[in-house]
Amino acid sequence: MKSMHDLLIVDDNPADIALAREALIACAYKGQVNSVGDGAEALAYLCRRGNYADAVKPDLVLLDLNLPKRDGLAVLAAMKANPELRRIPVVIFSTSQLSTDISRSYELGANCYVSKPGNLTEFFSMMKSIEEFWFGSVSLPPRGE
Amino acid sequence: MSENEIDILLVDDSPDDVELTLHALRTENLANRIFVARDGEEAMDFLFCTGPHAQRSFDRPPKLVLLDLKLPKIDGLQVLREVKGDARTKNVCVVLMTSSREERDMVSAYNLGANSYLQKPVDFDQFRKMVKLAGLYWLVVNRPPLSNVVPHPAGQVK
Amino acid sequence: MSSPATQLVKPASAEPKTQLRALLVEDSEADAELVLRALRKNDFDVSAVIVQDEAGFARALRTHCPEIVLADYNLPDWKGMEALNVLRRQDLDIPMILVSGALGDVTAVECIKQGATDYVLKDGLARLPEVVRRALRDKYERGLRHQAEKDLAKKADELARSNADLEQFAYVASHDLQEPLRMVAAYTQLLSERYKGKLDENADKFIGYASEGAIRMQVLIHDLLAFSRVGRAEASYSTVDCNEVLEEVRQTLASAIAECAAIVAHTDLPAIWADRTQMTQVFQNLIGNALKFRGKEAPEIFVHAEKAGQQWVFSVKDNGIGIAPEFAENIFVVFQRLHARTEYPGNGIGLAICKKIVQRYGGRIWVESQAGRGSTFKFTLPLQGPQAKEEAHQ
Repeated sequence: MKSMHDLLIVDDNPADIALAREALIACAYKGQVNSVGDGAEALAYLCRRGNYADAVKPDLVLLDLNLPKRDGLAVLAAMKANPELRRIPVVIFSTSQLSTDISRSYELGANCYVSKPGNLTEFFSMMKSIEEFWFGSVSLPPRGE
Repeated sequence: MSENEIDILLVDDSPDDVELTLHALRTENLANRIFVARDGEEAMDFLFCTGPHAQRSFDRPPKLVLLDLKLPKIDGLQVLREVKGDARTKNVCVVLMTSSREERDMVSAYNLGANSYLQKPVDFDQFRKMVKLAGLYWLVVNRPPLSNVVPHPAGQVK
Repeated sequence: MSSPATQLVKPASAEPKTQLRALLVEDSEADAELVLRALRKNDFDVSAVIVQDEAGFARALRTHCPEIVLADYNLPDWKGMEALNVLRRQDLDIPMILVSGALGDVTAVECIKQGATDYVLKDGLARLPEVVRRALRDKYERGLRHQAEKDLAKKADELARSNADLEQFAYVASHDLQEPLRMVAAYTQLLSERYKGKLDENADKFIGYASEGAIRMQVLIHDLLAFSRVGRAEASYSTVDCNEVLEEVRQTLASAIAECAAIVAHTDLPAIWADRTQMTQVFQNLIGNALKFRGKEAPEIFVHAEKAGQQWVFSVKDNGIGIAPEFAENIFVVFQRLHARTEYPGNGIGLAICKKIVQRYGGRIWVESQAGRGSTFKFTLPLQGPQAKEEAHQ
């Protein structure tokens, strides 16, 4: 019996995190949602350092790019360079539509790139697609130790 | 249809699975331009613009590669390794779609940089649904990397 | 800092005694005396230095800073015309008048062609004061014109910089405004959905207003960004077949066209040297408007182009609600819709964008219309396209 899914959202905007949570509730996501507000926290969480010693390794990371302390691309690079973290799928979830951001994300190993939509309906529908695909279809790597 | 305007590269040696996948993609109107490679070698030729696919260019990659693992000539993981290991092709979205249930295959795939990993359902209907969802996700929801122009090692942009 | 030699000299007026620093190139004392007398008799208060050769000339230029040079054509050690070369080498704009004995007409004209301001014969010195006055006046006016040109260039520069600043501001403002606005729009909509009918009766209404406001703002900012981008982005020119552009626009607007059973037709349109994206924007805005501002009947939109002299005149004709002539200019003004007067929703910026694009090409855009009688939007584009010559060799 598969354990509950665990999603980590990395976003410095609490309003966006709340919106994502609402959207996930709306599409009947039954898993866990954890969130952190900056890049340094994200890495501490993933490496289970300090306050996050008991953190559960997420099955999927939703990563914003414009973060304080360490920006999204730095977090991505760090994750993909770390053998314990590199297998965790990372979905870049950002308002940026700059082709440089998109290309750079893929170069650093992002699994995919989703633009945060401007309106609510699309936002919800986007989250639903993400949930359906990653938690419904995809075989996610085992969390490991 | 120009070889450069392919939306999806489907790499699978099982005729039934190919049939089903094409059908699912086409009924959803997700992609008209699908190229089927029946073995790893052809997939490599296609993605690296060599051999019979020398006319293709690196800056027009397919939006999505659906890649099976068990392939003749060169197996899926090797293809994945090569594609993700080369600056000219590493940004291409490669989604493994395989009947393998081996966890180590999945872990290897993710470690090699597979964008995602799908296990082919045995049930036809589920299979179709999965293809449809994957197609929708990678062609509509996902923002693919744009032109992948990286200088050819020989110094010329292909 | 301008040297005294190039300072403006007020033209001689009714004032007595115009001050004049003159540099004479003359070897005969007597002749020099005659020249000075001719000037002094005519209300010139001359302070003169007399030299005979180049060295003396150069020195006097430095120490005396003359406003005018009066030179004899033929000197034992020098030629009067040589003085011009010295002046030119030092980049001095000092009028030089040749004062000479017999000088054939041909020679005189030659001298003037070579840069002498004027010439006066030694037995016609009565003319000299007037000649000098005219020379000084011309120099003064030259100075004024030069100054005016400098001022104009400076103003143009400031204007360009100010425009660039404005565009930058518009871009940054609209870009940075989008984030918080996204929050307002999303959450007012969420409130609206979540709490509909659950709070008091006014709540639904209030939340509705907030929500609509936010969404309208999002559209405005989106359009503002689009408008400011017309200035920012580098245009890339190519041969653009307007028929293809129209087909593309037809496809983009396919569902709107189908919805109102519109007919979009066109005569054979030319291929022009332009930026394809911008041309698409222009046609899309005009045809989109024609669809939006339709009357009771199904829209009939007709696109036509014809040559008129050195330009193409495109027209987009519709059978919609038309525009009263008093608004014909206003509709192209950016942000006119901020003071929204009509009940038709949407951007107030489409036509402003068209105008900006067309103007960048050196064309103009206008509308011929009557309220209730449809509109014909027309715009011109130069036949050769912008920078056609420079970019033709790409």
